[in-house]
Amino acid sequence: MNPARWLLRTGRRLWAAGGLTVAQLRHHKLRLGLAVFGIVLAVLATTLLAGAGVGVLETGQAQFDAADRDLWVTAGETRITAAGGGGFENSLHNSREVAEEMAAHDGVAYTSPLSFETVYVATSLDADFRTFIATGVPNGGSVVNIDEGEDLRGDPHYANGTYEGEMTHEILLDRETARDLNVSIGDTLNVGGSLAAARENEFTVVGYSPTYEQMLGAPTVTIPLSELHQITSNTGTEPATFITITLEDDADVETVQAELQEAYPEYDIRTNSEQLEATLQEQVLVLAAASALIVLAVGAGIALTVALLGLVVYQQRQEFAALKAQGISASTLVVTVIGQGVIIGTLGGVIAVALTGPMVDLLNRLAAIVVGFDGLVQTAEPIYLGGLAIAIGIGTVAAAIAGWRVGRASPLEHL
Amino acid sequence: MAARSGSRPDESPPPLARADGVTKRYRRGSEPGRVARALGRSSPPKVTALEDVSIDIAQEEIVGLAGPSGSGKSTLLHLLAGLELPSEGTVTFQGTDLNTLSTRKRTRLRLEHVGIVFQHFHLLDSLSARGNVALPLVELGVPKKERRKRATELLERVGLEDRVTHRPGELSGGEQQRVAIARALVTDPTLVVADEPTGELDTETGTRVLEQFERVAEDRAVVLASHDQPTLEIADRVVRLRDGRIDEEATVRAPSRTDT
Repeated sequence: MNPARWLLRTGRRLWAAGGLTVAQLRHHKLRLGLAVFGIVLAVLATTLLAGAGVGVLETGQAQFDAADRDLWVTAGETRITAAGGGGFENSLHNSREVAEEMAAHDGVAYTSPLSFETVYVATSLDADFRTFIATGVPNGGSVVNIDEGEDLRGDPHYANGTYEGEMTHEILLDRETARDLNVSIGDTLNVGGSLAAARENEFTVVGYSPTYEQMLGAPTVTIPLSELHQITSNTGTEPATFITITLEDDADVETVQAELQEAYPEYDIRTNSEQLEATLQEQVLVLAAASALIVLAVGAGIALTVALLGLVVYQQRQEFAALKAQGISASTLVVTVIGQGVIIGTLGGVIAVALTGPMVDLLNRLAAIVVGFDGLVQTAEPIYLGGLAIAIGIGTVAAAIAGWRVGRASPLEHL
Repeated sequence: MAARSGSRPDESPPPLARADGVTKRYRRGSEPGRVARALGRSSPPKVTALEDVSIDIAQEEIVGLAGPSGSGKSTLLHLLAGLELPSEGTVTFQGTDLNTLSTRKRTRLRLEHVGIVFQHFHLLDSLSARGNVALPLVELGVPKKERRKRATELLERVGLEDRVTHRPGELSGGEQQRVAIARALVTDPTLVVADEPTGELDTETGTRVLEQFERVAEDRAVVLASHDQPTLEIADRVVRLRDGRIDEEATVRAPSRTDT
């Protein structure tokens, strides 16, 4: 056949197959709607879970950056403990002394040991005691941000290591914890590392601070470091989770990091991003679970897309069989089926991507209320593209496979 | 071995279609896979639908296939239309052995030379009557204007000029079957096969449909399978099948449409 004539005929066939595709989809609107809805769910599951993964990384990085620290010193792993209400393992001992030594190093502006401990908290001696993470902050340095009320007065109880100075008995809460405990500024709380210590130590709420709630993603109370060591009976070893180091403006982070690491080989000294990486790497189970969720979401999205399109094609098996019996070629049928896959996939993908933004906002609002994190779920261009690729790409491939099977089947199988 | 059944006219013009010593067997159930075979599962038993059947279909002849359910009428119809191949024997169409054709070529042969009318119509609900009739012409690459013209003409010939843009769901059973007949004829086939074409219709509607079928199918060979006696009355000869063999062949009327 003349090539031009062949092209013309093929073009006509393709155009007509496209018309048949659209006619079939338009006629079965409910089926089309359900198939598109399924694809939307599959793609949303993928984009939102992937967005949560990105959000965890970016939020973590933002929290480290917002802490206004340049270097982080740890001893061993920075691990979250499962004991009590949770918290980090405080494996850096004699933290006060080590922090003071490091503060004397060239380029270092100031150092702050930070300790996270599980404590018992109650609104009165008659009330039930509950566990919270308490953050111990030293005197000096912009350690916490205050939303309302006043900052802690300082850490006079330390009194140059004597622990004989006055205890301020001041405490900062995040707003969610304050709501949870039904207390406000000026109210008192019993706080201690044991129930006995909690009964003996009454703290006054002086302000609201979101700083450590956002860093840890859990309800948190903040008190002076020495008072935390006192009420948890840790004044002897003065353990800390980190020592944070803020450098002078003209100091080079990498140079100071290298010098300190050489001087203190027993500690790990990391920059913000290295510390985030190390923290995440040590949460192997959490990361494995998150990765598994993302893989499952993508896998489920693909499986659902394939199953839906297979079902859509299966429901038309008799019609396709009748067409084939009359001499309609397998290639025309395959084009018709692929056309359906492309249209359903594109509609589902575009709707899902359009819904991803609002859904992310909604999830972030919920996350902010429940765990205090802002921007826990975040989207990025690759996530949108991935969602579209799953919907259109997998939709097309699945339809092509279904179409190929339709094309191969004997017409009498379904008539 | 079973005796050959059926007979062949002695006239010199070659038949349009010929089944020669055709046997067709089907498996009951699916063939076991490798693992199932390794575990000792044997192939399912086969059922013989047709056995050693020979029949010629002449140009412009109407042949009725009669017999009870399961006698092999539909199977013989499918073999003659090239919808499937025999297990033994040969089916030739215009002198070409269908066994030698690929699936793609047999599909093309049906498109160009065979029109099929199903008992259950099998129209596409999403297309109008005209769209359904014109569909086979799409595959032939016929321009849209020409497709619409030919489809409309055929619908007029089967008395559906006022139903051209209606969808199957808006048509009665008789009207749907007339659309299906128009669709079977739109490519101007030399052979039309119809499997229980009035099976879904009441007697009166069936009679009207058959009259129109007979009229529009003129100058073509028609093979229709039915166990409905009035349907078979339009045939030039009726071949009765029983248990997969030709039981009796009778000339119902002669000559056929040429005397009308």
